[in-house]
Amino acid sequence: MSYLETKDLCKYFGGLRAVDQVNFTVEEGQLKSIIGPNGAGKTTLFNLVCGLYEPTSGKISFRGKDITAKKMNQTSQIGITKTFQITHIFPRLTVFENIRISAQSRKTSFNFWKKADLFGDINDKTMKILELVKLDESHDRIASTLSHGERKYLEIGIALATNPKLLLLDEPTAGMSPAETTMAMKLIRNLRDQLNLTILLVEHDMNVVMNISDEVLCLNEGRVLACGSPEEISCNETVQKVYLGGTKAC
Amino acid sequence: MKSKTENKSTTGPSNRVVWITLLIFLVIPHIISTPLATEIMIFGLFALGFNLLLGHTGILSFGHAAYFGLGCYSCGMAIRYFGASVWTALLASSAMGALLASIIGALAIKKRGVYFAMISMAVAQMFYFLALSPLKKWTGGEDGLKFIPKLSLKYPFYVDLQSPFPLYYFVYFIVGVSILLIWRILNSPFGRLLQAIRENEERTIASGYNVTMAKFVSLVFSGLFSALAGGLFCVYLGYGPLQTLFWLTSGTILLMTILGGMHTFIGPVVGVAVFLYLQNKFSWVMERWELVVGIMFVGLVLVFPAGIVGTIKSKYLGRQATAKQNAEADSAEEPV
Amino acid sequence: MELNFSLIMTQVLFGLALGAVYILMACGLTIIFGLLDVVNFAHGTFYMLGAFAAFVIISLFGNFWIGLVSAVFIVGLIGWATESFLIKPLYGKDPLYPLLLTFGFSVAVTDLMRGIFGTIGKIVELPKGFTGSLMMGGIFLPKYRVFIIFLTLAVLIFLWFFFKKTNLGMIIRAATRDSLMVRALGVNVSRIWTFGFALGVGLAGLAGAVNSTILPALPDMGVEMTIECFVVVVIGGLGSLGGAILGGLIIGQVISFVSLLASDYSNVAIFFTMLVILLVRTRGLFGEAGRL
Repeated sequence: MSYLETKDLCKYFGGLRAVDQVNFTVEEGQLKSIIGPNGAGKTTLFNLVCGLYEPTSGKISFRGKDITAKKMNQTSQIGITKTFQITHIFPRLTVFENIRISAQSRKTSFNFWKKADLFGDINDKTMKILELVKLDESHDRIASTLSHGERKYLEIGIALATNPKLLLLDEPTAGMSPAETTMAMKLIRNLRDQLNLTILLVEHDMNVVMNISDEVLCLNEGRVLACGSPEEISCNETVQKVYLGGTKAC
Repeated sequence: MKSKTENKSTTGPSNRVVWITLLIFLVIPHIISTPLATEIMIFGLFALGFNLLLGHTGILSFGHAAYFGLGCYSCGMAIRYFGASVWTALLASSAMGALLASIIGALAIKKRGVYFAMISMAVAQMFYFLALSPLKKWTGGEDGLKFIPKLSLKYPFYVDLQSPFPLYYFVYFIVGVSILLIWRILNSPFGRLLQAIRENEERTIASGYNVTMAKFVSLVFSGLFSALAGGLFCVYLGYGPLQTLFWLTSGTILLMTILGGMHTFIGPVVGVAVFLYLQNKFSWVMERWELVVGIMFVGLVLVFPAGIVGTIKSKYLGRQATAKQNAEADSAEEPV
Repeated sequence: MELNFSLIMTQVLFGLALGAVYILMACGLTIIFGLLDVVNFAHGTFYMLGAFAAFVIISLFGNFWIGLVSAVFIVGLIGWATESFLIKPLYGKDPLYPLLLTFGFSVAVTDLMRGIFGTIGKIVELPKGFTGSLMMGGIFLPKYRVFIIFLTLAVLIFLWFFFKKTNLGMIIRAATRDSLMVRALGVNVSRIWTFGFALGVGLAGLAGAVNSTILPALPDMGVEMTIECFVVVVIGGLGSLGGAILGGLIIGQVISFVSLLASDYSNVAIFFTMLVILLVRTRGLFGEAGRL
């Protein structure tokens, strides 16, 4: 039984077949990347898995249970968390509060009496995550003052705060400088190794994809084109034609 | 590494502000007229309840007169038709407010902001018309709910609610306790959740929160406190005016809240104080007071949307932030 | 009271005439919302201004038709000025602000009109040739009500033609969907918005002018009409003219029949209707996107 599995998953927007009969699996502890040209349906697939979109047809199951009908806040509670392509942070709140409020979601929030700042365990967890994403020095800053790269890290930190089992990262290195990208790669690999997270990654940066992925899935026009190890995919002729460009003899 | 950080939410009330406010209201009836002070307290509570929904959760209701008026009439009716004591009547007001909020929430809380604003306005108007005509027998129609028996407090000790000072301190007690409760709520995990919803609703959902339920609860609290204020208004006046259900009441509380600063805790109370003071001074001499109110509204939105307290806060915080940056630049150590 | 066929048909007709006015209002509101993303909380106020404009012009010139047409243009002009000076500065800011501003505007203008015209209603005489009624198949058809229905139909056809066939109309439709794109094509979107607002409130002014022979013009009727308008769009949906038409038709019939059968509740009937529809179809009639 795979950790995450989709069966004949479809999402149609009127006439547009954003995701068309997609079957794929993710095993526990894997780091799997999804690649493909713009409009291939990568983000739509993410949005289906995390419950933001309702599938037109097909099934999604996580750890053996059917999660097709679950909405976004429900999938988050069972361990699937997504980061957004365009960062979804709380711009006017501090970096610390951005993470703290996400961490708070694992405890009941219909507590009207106790001061929110006095939950030591939530505060500790927040600091640990801040250290992990290298934002501990900036914990006091207002989130809108962060640089683009720092915001991407904050986005990951917010996702981590929800104790995910399966992490969906939507173009985490987009817009990052080469130095930031290298650091991000290390961080993502770290998350898989040290925190035992299963990670699904949408990326355009082939360097990142080839370097850290266990498996690569290529989508095109909503359909699965190919799936395999990074080497297999980079040698795949159809993938090269549709997306990678050039030819690589293997 | 700290386990208890100094992290303050951006709109959570600070201890100092709350205690200073309570202190000011303790002595204010000796400075300005007592009836005016009483009205400021009552509408201040109304505004705080209203702002729980608007400033802190980010939901605009254009029909909060429904809660205020319902609270007012409930209190009056409980006393007049059921012989209830003042405490029971106020309890009834709060309960009715919470009930109405639950019903409106069940029907409309999931809707987009503009629809909620419109629906809330329509519901309030419906209550106004109901009180005006079909239910005239119980509500007194245009004349309002009259002939409420002389009000006095029997427990825990006798208070003559017909005289201005005892009445003021009774209101002060109720409003003071309410302010402390709202303060507690806003500083709690639930309060932070409301803030998160206001700041980025989609992100809050993505982090696993049941945002619909949170909004619903916020609305119920808001309705409860607004209705309690309405009940106090009935106790203060000794009767229940139809005006409490009128759309202008909804509009005025909105104006006062924004005037004071909707993204602050105590701003709405400040807005109420300023507005009622001006109204007290000028509406007698000006026939076109409502025109002035309308112009004030327009001017506020165009020029001064942060309101009084909001503007003060941003200037003060702005200066603080600059000072802090300068201090950080000077010293190599991180401020504690 | 006997509910025979002719009585019912008369009420249906009254309902259509009432509904027609609401349709005009709701269409105007929908156009403004679709184009500017602004819910015009002063929409009813422009309706009120239309009624008073008609009254004043007709009093001055004695001709109903001049009054009707002038009212539309006068209100349109006021709308032009309002959008240019009061609403335009708020674009790009919190979407709450235009709501608040238009509300404050309506409070101010209402009181201004109270000051100028007092609180006694001003009614306009029916135009010659439209007094009295026709009898068709035993059904009682007041001529003026029939006129309102046909006028609204004509306006709807004009709007359909305008949006589908004319250049300006197509630009407006494009701007409703994607103002950034339209701007990239070199169109002055800012002026389109102003025009759209003027058109929207012009429809409100027309509704007010048309109704001026039936209801006395009172400053306070503006906000009441705004709220009723909201009920229409909550029922029919803010997104489409089709919804505005459906909502208006429903409301018209509801008011007409409730006035006949339970006149004490005629004021609240539309709100009950709104609540019932919210209860039964939690998405309104034309639906509101839940999960995508």
